[in-house]
Amino acid sequence: MDKHGGWMETAFNTRDPVYLQVVRLFKERIVTGRLAAGEAIPSRREIAALLKMNPNTAQRAYKEMEEQGLIVTEGNSPSRITRDEDVLRSIRSELLGEAVRTFVGSIRNMQVPFPEIVALVKEEYEADANSRDQQPGGDGA
Amino acid sequence: MIRIENAHKRYRWRKVLDGVTFSAEKGQITCLVGMNGAGKSTLLKAIMGLTPLSKGTIRIDGVGSKRELYEKISFIPDHAAMPGGFRLEEGLRFMADYYKSWNESRAQELMTFFRLNPRDRLGNLSKGTAAKYALVLGLAADTEFVLMDEPFSGIDVFSREMIGDVFSSRLIEDRGVLVTTHEIDEVEHLLDRAVLLKDGKVARDIDCEQVRDEQGKSVLDVMREVYRA
Repeated sequence: MDKHGGWMETAFNTRDPVYLQVVRLFKERIVTGRLAAGEAIPSRREIAALLKMNPNTAQRAYKEMEEQGLIVTEGNSPSRITRDEDVLRSIRSELLGEAVRTFVGSIRNMQVPFPEIVALVKEEYEADANSRDQQPGGDGA
Repeated sequence: MIRIENAHKRYRWRKVLDGVTFSAEKGQITCLVGMNGAGKSTLLKAIMGLTPLSKGTIRIDGVGSKRELYEKISFIPDHAAMPGGFRLEEGLRFMADYYKSWNESRAQELMTFFRLNPRDRLGNLSKGTAAKYALVLGLAADTEFVLMDEPFSGIDVFSREMIGDVFSSRLIEDRGVLVTTHEIDEVEHLLDRAVLLKDGKVARDIDCEQVRDEQGKSVLDVMREVYRA
């Protein structure tokens, strides 16, 4: 993580709308705990500079997040991540669902029996958890 | 808004612009895309009144070309526009004398941002450093519009990154920017609109986010359709 909260590691792809990629980035950060409920987020201008994007796009991304109830802005104070448990839960299930669909899609044509998949996932999950425990200072962030 | 309508330009027998119409809005970054010789630089020069059009009109906020225009628009050319013997600080003083809209504190801020030495002489600058200095000269004035001709061309990767950073900063915010380039990957994320020139005409005029949203295409994808067809 760099001194700017890791924002500058972001690389956008060129085919998805940038503002939606920004929304997605915030969702990932919320789900992984890098942004907490109620936490203040950078201003539109700051995030444009950090993510090296057009300020109009930053504006649009924040508007979209406000509409989705992801962030709340009151008066002149900085926007914050919502504290609404329902919204936070639905983001988690949205991202989780997407990841699982991607996984299922990528193995669909391999015709692996279901129990084998479950065993493999379990094995991989545990190996991953172990390797992270052994890494000094590795918190996965 | 910079509005260009039905612009024609002919260099001897060669038609460079053959009826070009488009707008660049304030508060947006518009990119003029085209292969070499497509007339991008000619259009910028025509907006600045540096070259006459054979036919067509150019209006800035509804007004045609006149002297006061230079307080409203800055032009950042792709080559040094000052004598090589000048020190960078002398170049700044020249601009301060010439333009009412010159903002000295912004100039100093930009010099620091690009890590330029005011005692250096223009003639001794590398291409990348000269490009950064050209940006200082162009952005330090409080103009409403900024025209940039190939700001990334022939410059090392870190200088390109630094120049790219300018686009997402408040140095650009609220101004109208018209930039020409043939290296789209550098600015793809930064653009609001792209105007693609081909055979002297506007082949496509796109809202970049809209094209990604509705067609799942990058600006480069659209360029492929236009230039490789």
